[in-house]
Amino acid sequence: MKKKIRPDGKEKVTGRLKYLTDLTFPEMLWAKVLRSAYPHARILSLSTEKARQLPGVQAVITHEDVPALNGFGIVTPDQPVLCKDTVRYVGDAVAAVAAESVEIAARALELIEVHYEPLPVVDSPEKALAKSAPLLHPGGNILHRAGFQRGDIQTAFSRCVNVVEETYEVPRQLHAYMETEGGVIVPEKDGTLTVYVGTQHGFKDRFQLSRILGMPEEEIRIISSPMGGSFGGKDELNIQPYGALLALATGRPVKIHQTRQESMRSSIKRHPMSITMKTGVDQNGRLLAHQTTITADTGAYATLGPAILDFAVEHACGPYMIEAVDTKGVSVFTNNGVSGEFRGFGGNQITFALEGQMDRLAAAIGIDALELRRLNIRREQDPGPLGQRIVQTNGALEVLESAAQVYRDKKQQMPKASEWKRTGIGMAVTMHGGGLGFGRMDPAGGRLSLKENGKVEIAFGFEEAGQGILAVIEAVATEELGCRKEDLSIVIGDTALVPSSGSTTASRGTSMVWHSLQRLKGSFIKQVLARAVQKTGAEESVLSIGPGGVWKNGKCALSFESLAAGEEPIVVSTQFDFPVSPDAIDSAHYLYTYSGVVAQTEVDLLTGRIKVTGLHQSTAAGPVVNEMGYRGQIEGGGVMALGYTLMEDVVMTEGQYATENFDSYLVPGIQDVPFDLELEAIETLPPGDHYGPRGVGEIGTVAVAPAIANAIYDAIGFRVSRLPVKPEAVLQSMERGVLYENQS
Amino acid sequence: MKTNPEKAGAGVIGLSFRLNGKPVQLTVPPVIRAVDLIRNELGQTGTKISCGIGRCGACSVLINGKLSVSCLTLAYQLEGASVETVEGLSDQNGVHPIQEAFLEEGGFQCGYCTPGMVMAAKCLLESNPKPSEAAIQEAFSGNLCRCTGYGGIIRSVQRACSS
Repeated sequence: MKKKIRPDGKEKVTGRLKYLTDLTFPEMLWAKVLRSAYPHARILSLSTEKARQLPGVQAVITHEDVPALNGFGIVTPDQPVLCKDTVRYVGDAVAAVAAESVEIAARALELIEVHYEPLPVVDSPEKALAKSAPLLHPGGNILHRAGFQRGDIQTAFSRCVNVVEETYEVPRQLHAYMETEGGVIVPEKDGTLTVYVGTQHGFKDRFQLSRILGMPEEEIRIISSPMGGSFGGKDELNIQPYGALLALATGRPVKIHQTRQESMRSSIKRHPMSITMKTGVDQNGRLLAHQTTITADTGAYATLGPAILDFAVEHACGPYMIEAVDTKGVSVFTNNGVSGEFRGFGGNQITFALEGQMDRLAAAIGIDALELRRLNIRREQDPGPLGQRIVQTNGALEVLESAAQVYRDKKQQMPKASEWKRTGIGMAVTMHGGGLGFGRMDPAGGRLSLKENGKVEIAFGFEEAGQGILAVIEAVATEELGCRKEDLSIVIGDTALVPSSGSTTASRGTSMVWHSLQRLKGSFIKQVLARAVQKTGAEESVLSIGPGGVWKNGKCALSFESLAAGEEPIVVSTQFDFPVSPDAIDSAHYLYTYSGVVAQTEVDLLTGRIKVTGLHQSTAAGPVVNEMGYRGQIEGGGVMALGYTLMEDVVMTEGQYATENFDSYLVPGIQDVPFDLELEAIETLPPGDHYGPRGVGEIGTVAVAPAIANAIYDAIGFRVSRLPVKPEAVLQSMERGVLYENQS
Repeated sequence: MKTNPEKAGAGVIGLSFRLNGKPVQLTVPPVIRAVDLIRNELGQTGTKISCGIGRCGACSVLINGKLSVSCLTLAYQLEGASVETVEGLSDQNGVHPIQEAFLEEGGFQCGYCTPGMVMAAKCLLESNPKPSEAAIQEAFSGNLCRCTGYGGIIRSVQRACSS
């Protein structure tokens, strides 16, 4: 099969694509945002007088300049746009400046005088939960509690022959999209505002900006695509409010492009979590009892913290059928950086713990870890993790068996250990829900038109962050309609031109594009053919859409241009909701994807350095829409998770970032990855499945960490419970004497 | 940003060099970053800016044939140099074979690191048309990609040198 080149490919490899941070406009100003000097403080006074007097400064704004709601947040707008009396983390904005150059804006920030009264810094969930802790929000320090119970956990534990308990600690991870937040906000002559800033949900940004600016949504246009990466990190507002306020204040276009340090300071991160799991089995290896407590450090503000905790709770028993389950989670405010949406959405943290438990339990009862998984894994008819009905597939068992085969093959070919190096192999499996879950507004939709110019226009409110949604739209539309890619005009990422499709998140884009086409194509094809009948006089039964237009007797009888010429456009729209379970269980998912990962490691006994030498991912997510895009998501997700496992940690000390850039925050480079990343796409779906291709944006990141951790154990007998696994931890483990002396 | 003539005491210098084969002459403060000069003064935005400290390679260009991070290069250092950016690799007639290989093998996703990757590939393949895995690792050790996991980039380079 010839590989399909992405529609946005040529512009990207030639450097011709204009990202939103590449744009310039006449009379454009440059802006910078002053962030808090302290992680927790009272603002005693704030003077912008000297900054305003600096030549070249055009506007300085503070909380006094926010016309309507001084707050943002996708669900709860608890983060001040510009702080008035209290700052809760070092990313809190206090003022912003627009000036003739970026240097002048930077100098002006230094001239803004803020007097703070530092307050006690709550830099861990433990401190936040202490009785004496200062309250960070009026409602206290607990953002959200979530839980799930099934069966009688105590009785179930009492029947177990073996129980293992472990506390797992996972770090704060940076999205590290290569393009930091930024763009240009343009005040138009008619009083409206055009916001050229990347986001994962243009209509949501429009809504949030509307309530900050006190402007009707219709007067705000969001152009949100393309982006140089996002991974969940640009779903929440970032610099848009400052650019918008300054553009309105000055009447000139305002550009902001955060430096990497500014981005590190103000961007959301993956939630650090502490997860304690206690899991028990009977003498046959059946999982009987599984108790989990999750404590998440959500940082200073809410954003999607509650939903992420809910997701972790839902996935606490993963793809396993367990008689008694008791899961409790709490997401806690601190003065650390804000945690929020990140590819995997709480699944990565909980899966690391769960799959660690599986290997520990297998070792405790002396059976093969693979066999333990096989004994307990869900089957096609089984309910979902919260007891809800889910779309039935055999994905869990399929990825397990695929990974099992790979595991056996690789194990036989394992390179021998050398004097100072040990090799190991490990595996893990997971399931991951797509869409936002039951009880959450999750609308989707699209529009298909035959335009006056003869183009078949297909429009969605999605954004291209690199994931390849444009290639997905092209592949699905050409396949479902029968036309060529040259016939298409794809429109996304502009609220003035697209229908609402919901957010470009939660692995939902591919799925929703496919569902939209199923709904759109019937009516569209019918109308196109009816017009062709009118124009040619042919019977409809002998006509069909083909490359370039309408076909008859094996050739193109009427081009799209001729069909469209002088006629009204044909427009077909659809609006629907992401499919949810018929069982009304809050936040429960319905469509799941499955992954089985086999990792191979080499551990250097002298340096403690771990190298991942092989990574194979088996994914069950329905049919592959675009081979190159699918592979890219799985491989790229896998390496992002490799970084999470071995190197990435946004270190905070007393609420201040200790890692500010890529010199101290390390993401995987080419030397850190196996040259041959491998994957198997399991495309089978049960007969009659009408949910089509599922998204794979997240699944490739979810089960990699536990597979590597289990491979480290296989190599040196060190049970990993804390990520990232630093060389120091490996060396310390060997000092404690965990190393196998006689590894074969 | 256009250069601000009032920039604190910086003064300006006349600067001439070649950009993608064409002579460039301009007057700029000597210590602005080459990446800002290329992007903002010359409007060539194919060269990207990401970390600003020479760790990610998004701003990679060739200066006298040598792969260089333009965020750590100052304007005065370009005097008399031959500078090549991603824009120099393709024209109206088509793309460079390296770019074609990136297209065919999915050597990019978001595309933001891609100009730097393409320049690193060009630098490698001009000196070593059949690089080993170790040589590829070495050549791209200064360029970060967050999307692909490098698999697509490695396959692109391997395709480019086999074609």
